[in-house]
Amino acid sequence: MGKKQYERPIINKQYSGFMNKFGNATVSQPKTEIENIPVKDLVAQYGSPLFVMSERVMRENQRNVARIFRTRYPKVQFAWSYKTNYMNAVCSVFHQEGSWAEVVSEFEYDRARRLGVQGEHIIFNGPDKSTEGLERAIREKAKIHIDHYDELYELIEITERLGLTAQVAIRVNYDVGVYPKWDRFGFNYENGEAREALKRIVVNKKLKLVGLHSHIGTYMMSPEPYRIAMTKMVALANWLKSQHHVHLEYLDAGGGLPSHNTLKGQYLQAEEALPALDQYADAITGPLFELESYGDSMPTLILESGRALIDNAGFLISTISALKRLSDGKRAYIIDAGINLLFTSFWYKHKLVPAQATGVIKENASVFGPLCMNIDCIHEDISLPAMKKGEHVVLFNVGAYTMTQWMQFITLRPSVVMIMEKGGVEVIRKGESLDYVMQLEQTPDSLKKFSLV
Amino acid sequence: MNILTLRTFIDTILYSYAQIFFSNRRWVGAALLIAAFVSPVIGLFALLGAVISTLLAQALKYNAERIRTGFYGFNGILFGAAGAYYCELTPLYVGFILVFIFVTFFASTSLEHYLASSFNLPGLSLPFILSLDIFLTFIKTFDWVHFKTNSVQPGFFEVIPEYIRLYFHSFGFILFQTDVLAGMIIAVAILFFSRVLFVNSIIAYALNYFLVKNLFPDPTPALYIQTSLNAILVAFALGGSLIIISRKTIILIVLATVMTLIFNIFFTSVFGVHGLPIFVLPFNVVVLATIYSLKFRQEQSDLVLLYFAPGSPEENYYYHQNRKSRFDKFRFVFPELPFFGEWKVSQGINGSITHKTDWRHAWDFVITDESGKEYRGNGLSPEDYFCYNTPVVAPLDGEVVRIVDNIPDNEINNPNLKNNWGNTIIINHGYGLFSSISHIKPGSFEVKKGDHVLKGQTVARCGNSGRSPVPHLHFQFQLTDRLGEKTYLFPLSQYFQRNAGETTLCTFDYPNEGDLVRNIEAHSTIRRAFDFRIGQEFELSWTLNGKQYTEHWDVKADSTNAVYIESSIGTVAYIHPKEKVFFMANVLGSKKSALYYFYLLSISVPLGYGERLRWTDTFPISATIGKAVRFVSEFMLVFTNLLSSSAVLWFEKQDDPKKQFIVRSTHTRLGRGVLGWFKANGTGSIVIDSDARISELYFETGKTNFQATIREKEMPV
Repeated sequence: MGKKQYERPIINKQYSGFMNKFGNATVSQPKTEIENIPVKDLVAQYGSPLFVMSERVMRENQRNVARIFRTRYPKVQFAWSYKTNYMNAVCSVFHQEGSWAEVVSEFEYDRARRLGVQGEHIIFNGPDKSTEGLERAIREKAKIHIDHYDELYELIEITERLGLTAQVAIRVNYDVGVYPKWDRFGFNYENGEAREALKRIVVNKKLKLVGLHSHIGTYMMSPEPYRIAMTKMVALANWLKSQHHVHLEYLDAGGGLPSHNTLKGQYLQAEEALPALDQYADAITGPLFELESYGDSMPTLILESGRALIDNAGFLISTISALKRLSDGKRAYIIDAGINLLFTSFWYKHKLVPAQATGVIKENASVFGPLCMNIDCIHEDISLPAMKKGEHVVLFNVGAYTMTQWMQFITLRPSVVMIMEKGGVEVIRKGESLDYVMQLEQTPDSLKKFSLV
Repeated sequence: MNILTLRTFIDTILYSYAQIFFSNRRWVGAALLIAAFVSPVIGLFALLGAVISTLLAQALKYNAERIRTGFYGFNGILFGAAGAYYCELTPLYVGFILVFIFVTFFASTSLEHYLASSFNLPGLSLPFILSLDIFLTFIKTFDWVHFKTNSVQPGFFEVIPEYIRLYFHSFGFILFQTDVLAGMIIAVAILFFSRVLFVNSIIAYALNYFLVKNLFPDPTPALYIQTSLNAILVAFALGGSLIIISRKTIILIVLATVMTLIFNIFFTSVFGVHGLPIFVLPFNVVVLATIYSLKFRQEQSDLVLLYFAPGSPEENYYYHQNRKSRFDKFRFVFPELPFFGEWKVSQGINGSITHKTDWRHAWDFVITDESGKEYRGNGLSPEDYFCYNTPVVAPLDGEVVRIVDNIPDNEINNPNLKNNWGNTIIINHGYGLFSSISHIKPGSFEVKKGDHVLKGQTVARCGNSGRSPVPHLHFQFQLTDRLGEKTYLFPLSQYFQRNAGETTLCTFDYPNEGDLVRNIEAHSTIRRAFDFRIGQEFELSWTLNGKQYTEHWDVKADSTNAVYIESSIGTVAYIHPKEKVFFMANVLGSKKSALYYFYLLSISVPLGYGERLRWTDTFPISATIGKAVRFVSEFMLVFTNLLSSSAVLWFEKQDDPKKQFIVRSTHTRLGRGVLGWFKANGTGSIVIDSDARISELYFETGKTNFQATIREKEMPV
């Protein structure tokens, strides 16, 4: 038995009459290791803050989701959503698991191509595709998901000019009973716009209609909207089949499956509040059996899940820079990772736990990032045991939309490492340096010299 | 007559000769033709018989293919030879021989047809015997006809002991040759044509010799020859040419030799009264009677009668063995697993929990994750189990004949012992086959009694009703629509099976406990690549060891609807596309063609992709191992087969539009026993591009380096 840990005294204000059905403060286990590698060692070797990805968890997530869908519908294809996390190493893990690439810009398209993904395995989404981008996608037989009429007109013009056939689908939006209605992307179903667009595509010999696409939202907290969406998509597919003899190769249900992150304003923990993925899978695959006249060549179901496959595979290790008392006496921690790295903390209550053993008494605290900006707040209210400057914390569920939405603001972006399934740690993105940030800058000669007194 | 038809004509004559000894080799025919000319006059009349019969068949427009095989010629040969053998040749007599060649021709065509259509039997040389005896009876009435006295001539070969000489004489006398030399030529030709027949001839001759020597007082050489030539021909027919060889054919030969001797004596006694020769009549009677009676067996798995165009007995054996090992397990219907995705067999056939006695031929299935767990969370409610509420599909087309619903799902580990089967669906698949799926979720049925369902159609959801501690599916085949009927052992037609990370292809097999199994999900690219349609044409250019060739393929179907690819080089490959697996059934003709290599490379290909998937298949020995190696082993073929030839195949997926899939294979040809030294390896690949076209073929062994590019000929729209 080691020396008993010292716990500094805390004064907690007691509120009488407020009952808490969850009982007293929850005991949260410190996260001293990630995938059996001590947090301390990781920081010592790669610095702080540090993003840590787990290859094992990514693969496990992908296989679990694949199993859930493939035991409900025979033909399922995943397409890795690049915008969720387009680190090469991360994308490669999903490509190795058999996922195609889902990109929403030429930048992402080029990334996928450079990684070795063939055009025909790229789903090209997004409302802003340039002429050059479309030309390339047509030549490389990528699956172009048309977002609006202007894109359709341009495709007609380009295919005529090049004498090539484009593999196309349209994105369809519908009223699935959720707010906000995502009607700014794609063609609307209810007002007939989608059918009009499809008619135009069907009669054009240079456009090959291969699928239908929809993406009804993100972090969907109920499976029912998917059932409504897929029912409408199947109705559209049946209409295409009976009226225009179009045999679709795939139906793309988009992404939007929730991860186990808890939203701000959500009372229960995500794990408890959200339906199981099985229920989403039932809602998405159920309506597919209403497809008519497809015989034994049913269309493939494409899923563009991102968040649900990667959020819990990412960890952010951060170091406590300082402790403070706010004016009202509330405890505040300043850590070296802020909203520059966690854009997602605007809507998520990222789970945050100490990275070392602590006492059991908890105190309500705010956690601020390192930026000299008032908005840089990771947690306004979080119950934490006492920690000291220089100790570490681990933020959970940071795999999605962090490494693509982070910003080089005020400070540099840190290293990203991946803990490999077969053991060992690999740096998948080096921490930025001043040279890296300044290499694109050009200073006019007249501004190169100054003298300060 | 142009060169082509002259060549065809010569072929026909040679095949006619070869047919006498059940051979389809021209060189065997040529050897027999030469053997007949040891006695030139008889040789000439034999040839005349062949030529006249063939010309007659051509002039009267009989089936051209049958003419070419020598079918109409060989009775003519025998009659021509016999005519010249029995009497002194005078112009008038020769005239009669010619007339009787016509008679023989009509006798053979009508007898052949009668035996074939009424009894499904070959005509053999019965027409020849019939017309010979009519001819001799007719001729005998004239006093200007002089019968010859023929006797066997030892010639230079007197040094050879008599019991060996008589062996050759027996061969020679089949062509009415009295010289030992003729018999020797024939024996050598037989040896090179087929070791099996050669061994048979020795067995039959030796046994017959022993019997004759010990049963008859003072047997004459003529008796030895008459009886042993029949015995040898019987051994040929029953020991390889009309029945596929096995150890049992040896017993058959022994019995048939005794029987032949009895018939020899019987016919000699009956016909001898009228002074008529019986010649090969005992052979005809014994063979036809044996074959005919064998046809009435309930099960034909032993002593299999030849059911395809005959090659040499060895080739027939190899072909039959290959077909048997690959396709005998096939059934008339193709049931598949009753679910989507990969499931684990939690209890197999003869399982230790409940699959016992009358209910042993059943499977239980559950879904597990990577670590083998069946549930998430603490697994305390059915909803936690991965398989709960997943779709259950019809294993085969059929009619829903029974649905049991409304039995509630159990709590975990609280099986319902009152309603053992739980919610169940029973489907009638026709042909007396029913399938039953149990432990379904109450209220989840999507079909009702009387509905017609298609294979793969969702019928319900997996639940936890009945005697089910945790959610799972119970699946069995049975022979009635009764709930809880005893199980019937019936295989699943095609699935992938994963065990210890390795996936393999199973066809008409039974999933084992602990295996992870899934239905094959056809990949559109692979499926299109192997979708050979009648009328398709392909152009190939290929190199073999550096030499350049071109080839043309046509996809055709024969009168039995079997689809085959025909190459311009003369190779024919029969394909056997079965739902989700492509099979090469057989290859015939030249081995120096791209089609032959394609046969090797695509012996079987599942039309769905699988990670770490490997599958094996076997080839007929004659299609893959050279003659020299086979020559030695075939002396023992009746007892044991010393050679094997197989391939391991797998897919390689590449993100390259020119090479989207590669079907790779390693080929192993092995000898054992005295051929233990023999081993040959090869590697090959088929390249499929992203347009789902087979574009390139490669095959390499130590000696051969084959490469080909394939282009499909555009079909006129």
